Amino acid sequence: MGDTNGALIELIGLEKTYRVGTEIVRALRGVTVSIHENEYVAIMGPSGSGKSTLMNIVGCLDIPTGGTFNLRGKDVSKLSQSRLARIRGRQIGFVFQSFELLPRTTALKNVQLPLLYAQVSHQRKRALAALERVSLSDRAKHRPNQLSGGQKQRVAIARALAQEPDIILADEPTGNLDSETGEEIMTIFDSLHADGQTIIIVTHEESIAARCRRVIRLKDGLIESDERRGDSLPQAEVSRAVSLAAS
Amino acid sequence: MMLRPIRWLLRLFPWMISVILRNGQNVITAFVQIWANKGRSILTTLGIIIAVTSIIAVVSFVQGFGNFITDMVRGYGTQFMVVRPYTPPERYRAGLGRVTLDLSDIEAVRVECDALSRLTPFVYTGEAEVVYGSEKAEGVPMRGVTEDYQTIRNFYVDAGRFFGPVDVETAAHVVVLGRTLLKSLQCDESIIGEYVYIGGARFRVIGLLQRKGSFGPEDQDETIMVPYTTAIKLYPDLRKSIPFLVEADGEGNIDKAYGQITRVLRRRHSLQAGQPDDFRIDRQDQMVRQFERVKTVASSILAGIVSISLVVGGVGIMNIMLVSVTERTREIGLRKSVGGRRRDILLQFLTEAVVLCTIGGLIGVGFGFAISYLASLHPNMVELDTPWWSVALALAFSAGAGVIFGIIPAFKAAVIHPIDAMRHE
Repeated sequence: MGDTNGALIELIGLEKTYRVGTEIVRALRGVTVSIHENEYVAIMGPSGSGKSTLMNIVGCLDIPTGGTFNLRGKDVSKLSQSRLARIRGRQIGFVFQSFELLPRTTALKNVQLPLLYAQVSHQRKRALAALERVSLSDRAKHRPNQLSGGQKQRVAIARALAQEPDIILADEPTGNLDSETGEEIMTIFDSLHADGQTIIIVTHEESIAARCRRVIRLKDGLIESDERRGDSLPQAEVSRAVSLAAS
Repeated sequence: MMLRPIRWLLRLFPWMISVILRNGQNVITAFVQIWANKGRSILTTLGIIIAVTSIIAVVSFVQGFGNFITDMVRGYGTQFMVVRPYTPPERYRAGLGRVTLDLSDIEAVRVECDALSRLTPFVYTGEAEVVYGSEKAEGVPMRGVTEDYQTIRNFYVDAGRFFGPVDVETAAHVVVLGRTLLKSLQCDESIIGEYVYIGGARFRVIGLLQRKGSFGPEDQDETIMVPYTTAIKLYPDLRKSIPFLVEADGEGNIDKAYGQITRVLRRRHSLQAGQPDDFRIDRQDQMVRQFERVKTVASSILAGIVSISLVVGGVGIMNIMLVSVTERTREIGLRKSVGGRRRDILLQFLTEAVVLCTIGGLIGVGFGFAISYLASLHPNMVELDTPWWSVALALAFSAGAGVIFGIIPAFKAAVIHPIDAMRHE
């Protein structure tokens, strides 16, 4: 959409330096990577590799200290807090390890939260549609304490989907779930990917990474490896390739 | 230049409306939060509740007592005025103390002022001595008046009779006694027709005044009344300056009567234009008005003093809101990560503080009314009056306390960085 190389996310020489007391921590030391629409990416790496930092920057929760981050061709690395909040609300959907649902608030109201901040119309309808996509429309009136772990995470995914974001950013989405429920959640991600959704999952589980089409491994703030294992291109990717070829 | 702040406010207005409209969700969230921590919320708002309760109660009491007194003052009639000698301080210093009001002044007023319906000289001494048989009452207030006094002051006899014009003209030795005197002299109504000695002179008791009760520290029933002519004979010193009471001929003639009396007395006292009056006219209607003003000022001041306790309540709110912000750091992080801006978070927590304080205020208003009601059950209690403005003021103040004391916790919440917040355990 208006960008030159078609990348949804374009990181060029991205750096992030923290100061912890007197010590300077270089969490990212120049990460260059592009992620296109409808990609299904796993970001892996040992703790301290910088994967959380990378995720925070891609999620517009934080800004880099060096390099450039283009989101849909627009440089977002120097935006104000309020602009970043707007991007988070409209273009990015977060899924967290511990769900982060508001207690004492129904599933529907939880899903509506991003819509509330974005002040869009038809909030209820959109939220119900999002719950429908994770097959939880029958639980709309339930509160988090009336839901199982898997259901909670599905509500969280619905919340991430509510605004039809460009990217779903999932941070260890199965970390708090048993393997069976984890599988259930991954199936949802698979189907979202099949529908054309761009998904980035931060994980340390190889079994999760194995389901993704691309695995980026970080070590000491640098990309160690970046492998694509797409046995088959999803439909959206094919159509985009076709349209590119046609132009 | 003057218009600039106004225009600025006008531009702010639609923004405020939209904030309030969008704030509905925050109000709901606030209620959910408050309900989730019921016990804590009640303890937190206790300060506000007590503050508002006392504001309402204090104002109700002051207003109630004020009404009681104004009603009583009004009960004497608003058409009467008291004219008394008055020496302006500068004349007093010059040693010009002279006769300021005498019987000829009073007679001139009676003859020349047609806006008056009644008039009575008021020869007063607080030091009369009344002897009846072996009983003696000392320091009794004695009023030397005419028969008009009863009508002007609404003070009638309910046994025997009052003295009439003939008694006044002949300076008859007749006396009307107040009810307290009966007790002092150890007698009952049979004293009518008997003789008492006042200042050594023999008086016939012709009537007993109705019971009137106390006005402040003054027992209105401890009094004796004699014809003013008799009083002057008995206490010749009093003739030098005699106050007098007049009654205007109808409410509409109060101002006219005032003007007439002033003109007559100034002429008789040969006062030049620019010279101050050497007498004073106290108007009952103005006294009532003045008293109303005093009542409002007094209750506002008291309410203001009690409002200080709102500050204590507000600090309690601030404290618990700070705790709440820390506890809900993860929620704040989540809200920020789904698009909540700083101002959204600020508004949310500010709303919560205001809602908490307003609930406290409403409960306080309820308690205030309850206390006023309970107090009014006491038989000797005056009727309490809770003006609407005190309720509005109390609610506005408690909501204001919410804004003032909620702003720091709300600001603290707003500036939390989302990453730190999500990492918070």
